[in-house]
Amino acid sequence: MGSFTSIVYKEIKELIRDPKILFGVVLLPLLLYPLMGQGLQISQQSVQTAIRGAQFSVYSDDNGQVAGIFVQYITTNNTITNIQATGLQDALVKFKDSNSVAMVYVPNGYSQNITDGLKGHVKIYGNLKNLNIAEASGVEVAGSLVSVYNYYYSLAMIKQLMVATGNLGDSEAIRSPLSISYASIIKGNVIEVAPSQITSVILSQSIMLPIMVMMMVIFAIQMAATSIALEKEQKTLETLMTLPVGRLTILSGKLAGSVVIAVAGSISYMIGFGYYTSSAFSFAPQLTSIDLTGVGIGIQPIGYALLGIVMFVTLVSALALAISLAVFTDSVRSAQSLTGVLIVPLIIPAMILMFSDIEMLPPAIQWIMLAIPYTHTMLATKAAFLGNYWLMMRSILYISVFTVLVLWIAAKIFSTERIITARFMSFSFGKKKRQAN
Amino acid sequence: MGLAIDVRDLRKSFGDFEALKGTTFSVEESEIFGLIGPNGAGKTTTLRVLGTLISPTSGVAEVFGHDVVKEAGKIREILSYLPEDAGAYQYLSGEEYLRFMAGFYARERSAVEEMVQAGKDISGLGDRLKDRVNGYSRGMKRRLLIARALMIKPKLAILDEPTSGLDVIQAYHVRGMIKDYAENMGVTILVSSHNMLEVEYLCHKVALINEGNIISEGTPEELKVRYNAVNLEQAFMEATQLG
Repeated sequence: MGSFTSIVYKEIKELIRDPKILFGVVLLPLLLYPLMGQGLQISQQSVQTAIRGAQFSVYSDDNGQVAGIFVQYITTNNTITNIQATGLQDALVKFKDSNSVAMVYVPNGYSQNITDGLKGHVKIYGNLKNLNIAEASGVEVAGSLVSVYNYYYSLAMIKQLMVATGNLGDSEAIRSPLSISYASIIKGNVIEVAPSQITSVILSQSIMLPIMVMMMVIFAIQMAATSIALEKEQKTLETLMTLPVGRLTILSGKLAGSVVIAVAGSISYMIGFGYYTSSAFSFAPQLTSIDLTGVGIGIQPIGYALLGIVMFVTLVSALALAISLAVFTDSVRSAQSLTGVLIVPLIIPAMILMFSDIEMLPPAIQWIMLAIPYTHTMLATKAAFLGNYWLMMRSILYISVFTVLVLWIAAKIFSTERIITARFMSFSFGKKKRQAN
Repeated sequence: MGLAIDVRDLRKSFGDFEALKGTTFSVEESEIFGLIGPNGAGKTTTLRVLGTLISPTSGVAEVFGHDVVKEAGKIREILSYLPEDAGAYQYLSGEEYLRFMAGFYARERSAVEEMVQAGKDISGLGDRLKDRVNGYSRGMKRRLLIARALMIKPKLAILDEPTSGLDVIQAYHVRGMIKDYAENMGVTILVSSHNMLEVEYLCHKVALINEGNIISEGTPEELKVRYNAVNLEQAFMEATQLG
């Protein structure tokens, strides 16, 4: 086994046998996300069951015929309790003590208003005993019942008026004279799908990738920094540096070992997160299936290939940066604090670009964002969906140049005594360094 | 026999702090040479320069005729360096650690296994070598590390405070390991320590170092006679005029 392979092999062994890495990076995503998904699924199913079994009440202060028809309509069609009470206060007390989640109250004057051609007003009370989603949704169901009645009652009234005035036509068209339909133009093709539907489909697909990349890089940064800091803390690095092996071989061996574990962590994260989304949102009605590949939206094989390169160079650059920074620390704790700072420029572009485009930002912010290499990772993932391969290649080039620069710095640090003598404390607080003896 | 180590007017500064102020000494081949002095005297800095870890600010430092700056690669092939308080990889077993280290010195599988076997014998850890290092006591770790340093049959072994932090029994075993190996294999060993009695037991020749300067050099007997002292500790105190 060559020196490089030997270091990579050792690095992988060390990382995979470290319970913190094995559990935190590889196993936890496989366990935690499915469990979270199951938990969410169970709670959503419970809410749906509770809504389906929700009970409602109705109380009317109006003895008119029109109010009677409304009360009869909703009590006939649903399991609604008609509260018998001496007044609203009495009705509310009875409603509060009942199992009903909502009470539809018809105040006095409802019938008179309708008869006079005015709006009839009803009020819905929610019985929030536990302040949960099921109760709030139950109240909304009661509101929907009233809306359905409102719709058909208005159509019936329009028909009556049309008959009385001898007018012809469709009561539905008179109630809502305009109808709207949407279409989108993408890459010169017109497709009969609303723009909002397309963006929601793209967002639901593209939001996952930046999250994956971000998580993968964060894992890698922490691992690489910990690995170097641990070597310094235990003085194994000092021993390693006196072995007949090139310092670049040591650096690249450590990088490669961390890349392997980071990729394993990302795969486990993808599996775990994929299971989480599929189980957590299984209750949600499926969006209209839109095939966007026909109009050039969606990742094509070349897009996947370029995306793979983007992720790889991002990973290597982040690892090289983490290693370069970790050199200036003397303990695992200080390395983790220091690399915590690195995560900030990683998260900010990801968060901003998840919800907006870089062109929407003020020019100064755009330039700052573009200077951060990880912005280009996020831009490239979006470009992959739109088939904008030039932009992807530009991103690869920028990150690669940055990576080469960082690797050059890391290699320089590794080839000097700084790797042994450097201490972050002396740089940050200007303390005079004193060689330990 | 030629010189294993030749150090002349060696200086090393860290910013404004001068750790070595013109250190000069030499070590003969197959000699066990002790560098003794208090904390902050410049022992570790001298060993790190000879171990090719740090570069001198000025002066000459040669190992078997190779310059530590210009021919660091050649020195690393014949050198074994054991830092003070060094650890081993926690999640490797003792045997895996020895095999990992042997891989840098031998390409042939049989040669690697030969080194590993030598390491096993030197350490005397037996079946415990199959356990992971994170389960080892401090003494066991030190024995493993010394075995690692010696198993490759280096021309020069640099051992920085080899018994630091060990109890009396563990320190006794470690000293025995070093002495036996040096006598049997004819390896040159440079030891640093602030334990004067240990150095007196182990070393053929000793240099007293204080504040970055060698203040006296000779065999333990010569030093005791020179300073009219009963042991090296007293000789050191007299040499530094603190006694």
